[in-house]
Amino acid sequence: MSGRVSHTVDMSVKLGELTLRTPVLTASGTFASGREFADFIDLERLGAVVTKGVSLEPWEGSPSPRIAETPSGMLNSIGLQNPGVEAFCEDDLAWLSSVDVPVIVNVSGHTVLEYVSVIERLEVEPRVDAYEINISCPNVDSGGMAFGTACTPAEEVTRACRAATSRPLIVKLSPNVTDIAEIARAVVASGADGVSLINTLLGMAIDIRTFRPKLARIVGGLSGPAIKPVALRMVWQVAGAVDVPVIGMGGITDTEDAVEFMLAGATAISVGTANFVDPTTVMRVTDGLAEFCRTRSIARVSNLTGAMRT
Amino acid sequence: MSGCACSEHAVPPALERVEVVANDRVASGVGLVVLHAPRTAETVRSGQFVHVRLAHGTSFILRRPFSVHRVRGERIEILYQVLGTGTRTLAEREAGDEMDLIGPLGHGWEIPPGIAHALLVAGGLGVAPLGMLAEELAARGVAVTVATGAPNKERLLVRDLFEGVARRVEIATDDGSCGTRGFVTGVCENLLADEALDVVYTCGPESMQRIVAAQAAGAGVPCQVSLERLMACGIGACLSCVVRTSQGLKRACVDGPVFDAAVVLWDLTEIPAKQ
Ligand SMILES: Cc1cc2nc3c(=O)[nH]c(=O)nc-3n(C[C@H](O)[C@H](O)[C@H](O)COP(=O)(O)OP(=O)(O)OC[C@H]3O[C@@H](n4cnc5c(N)ncnc54)[C@H](O)[C@@H]3O)c2cc1C
Ligand SMILES: Cc1cc2nc3c(=O)[nH]c(=O)nc-3n(C[C@H](O)[C@H](O)[C@H](O)COP(=O)(O)O)c2cc1C
Ligand code: FES
Repeated sequence: MSGRVSHTVDMSVKLGELTLRTPVLTASGTFASGREFADFIDLERLGAVVTKGVSLEPWEGSPSPRIAETPSGMLNSIGLQNPGVEAFCEDDLAWLSSVDVPVIVNVSGHTVLEYVSVIERLEVEPRVDAYEINISCPNVDSGGMAFGTACTPAEEVTRACRAATSRPLIVKLSPNVTDIAEIARAVVASGADGVSLINTLLGMAIDIRTFRPKLARIVGGLSGPAIKPVALRMVWQVAGAVDVPVIGMGGITDTEDAVEFMLAGATAISVGTANFVDPTTVMRVTDGLAEFCRTRSIARVSNLTGAMRT
Repeated sequence: MSGCACSEHAVPPALERVEVVANDRVASGVGLVVLHAPRTAETVRSGQFVHVRLAHGTSFILRRPFSVHRVRGERIEILYQVLGTGTRTLAEREAGDEMDLIGPLGHGWEIPPGIAHALLVAGGLGVAPLGMLAEELAARGVAVTVATGAPNKERLLVRDLFEGVARRVEIATDDGSCGTRGFVTGVCENLLADEALDVVYTCGPESMQRIVAAQAAGAGVPCQVSLERLMACGIGACLSCVVRTSQGLKRACVDGPVFDAAVVLWDLTEIPAKQ
């Protein structure tokens, strides 16, 4: 087509039954429920808000210090501090009811029953569009990542959550495994409508002046640009192993990163740590993706998914 | 903005592109950077801070939080101690350089109505958020007494800082090279006994603030503290900066950094180690 024709790019993507305006989402735990970012961006231009992790009862989280900066990234051991699902509904969901954007609630638990109970409570909330089941948090002692690092527990949680809802169910995978594709296949076989990856990589840092660990919890999750090549490789492996949509994340800070994840097979992408550096990152990436497609006469952003040439 | 208990309505934060006007060394290891930041200068309240992006590229990525020390027209001043990568980068910035910040952020100092006399207690860099406060108090006709401490004369910060706004300035140095020999908490104790005070404001190492808070409580004077935590987002979203209080976990970046000392559950393991 002639370069003079100014066509608009179709930015919508499909996550199972859910149609999103754009493929740009927020990574759980880095965006709260969006309220804090409303001073900087238009939330209604997002593909979806993925909320912080929500558990059945309030969780205190880990002791401080909870973060440490490392080369090109950061370690965190927030420990899923949250006020519990009841307060989440009263406060966060109530606030979100005035914002026109799909809401994906990130669900945490120590036990299978706890995950299911959170979903049961949320089922009556019309403001919830989908669930992201976090079986990959490295910062809680029992549950969390333990569910995501072996096939059997991952299947169990997924099956139980599947039985509790007919809404889209996304399972968030841990990179702290030998074969992530195997876990992805297991959760999809158990009823997941999509998978998201990667959660943080387990890491640590020590202060050599005090001989103390930089995190009170000693170990924590690594995020940010430092993990991008690992995340990209895992997204590519998983996208080749399952036939459900993949949400890719890990170190995305600009348009080029987002394009890479889509070429590797992601249907949508999430921005995490970069929200802390530049609270407008999600808007920059959204505009950048549209521009990227427009200048190359790519009619639909979804055409990028899996388009890597080998 | 969420969770802000400010008595007066605080202006929402914004991303502001700012220009370095001047950047000078003012004491051993301490610099004062003046930034042309019209929006922040107009909207900031004493005790609030800005979250400054010092790095571009990906060697280190997170912003660094700094109190707004003083406002001069469209300019803000930041008093900073050179500690690590971020503050070293800041020290290298020259007039004309641009950077961006998010601000104004946080819940600042409260000035209770009807007070006549305030004591400001600073340990080291703790003077940073007290500059604007002293000026605001003086402008409202409140008498200001300052107690400030440092390891030695060379590291004592801007001694003339409070001139013209403070009625009385007491100095303590660890080695006695200026003012009283000893810690600022000793000076504070004496002032609390000597003077009729309505409120104590303090900032500095957390161990020092805890002692000042206890001294003020003993003297029956309300006390406000300004606490530091490691901060990622600075806007209330990430929960990296929590402070334990009798009302539960609070976020230093939006509920603080200034807290009523009476609600803080002191937990000294939470102070990041400093040189
Ligand atoms: C609300 C708030 C206001 C602040 N105001 C000022 C100010 O006006 N002037 C000033 O000089 N500093 C201020 N600080 C502290 C300042 O943010 C840190 O000194 C700075 O981030 C260190 O960055 P760096 O890269 O140089 O050091 P890093 O390499 O990150 O660390 C060097 C050392 O500094 C310590 N450190 C790092 N970040 C912090 C932090 N946020 N608080 C305490 N210690 C830290 C580390 O534990 C380490 O020991 C403030 C902090 C907060 C939370
Ligand atoms: C401070 C912080 C808190 C997080 N909290 C959660 C959480 O509650 N649930 C979850 O599934 N992932 C959580 N994550 C992981 C992110 O959603 C994301 O998977 C990871 O950080 C990688 O993306 P990034 O490099 O873009 O940050 C958190 C990450 C950070 C940095
Ligand atoms: S720094 Fe993120 S919540 Fe305070």
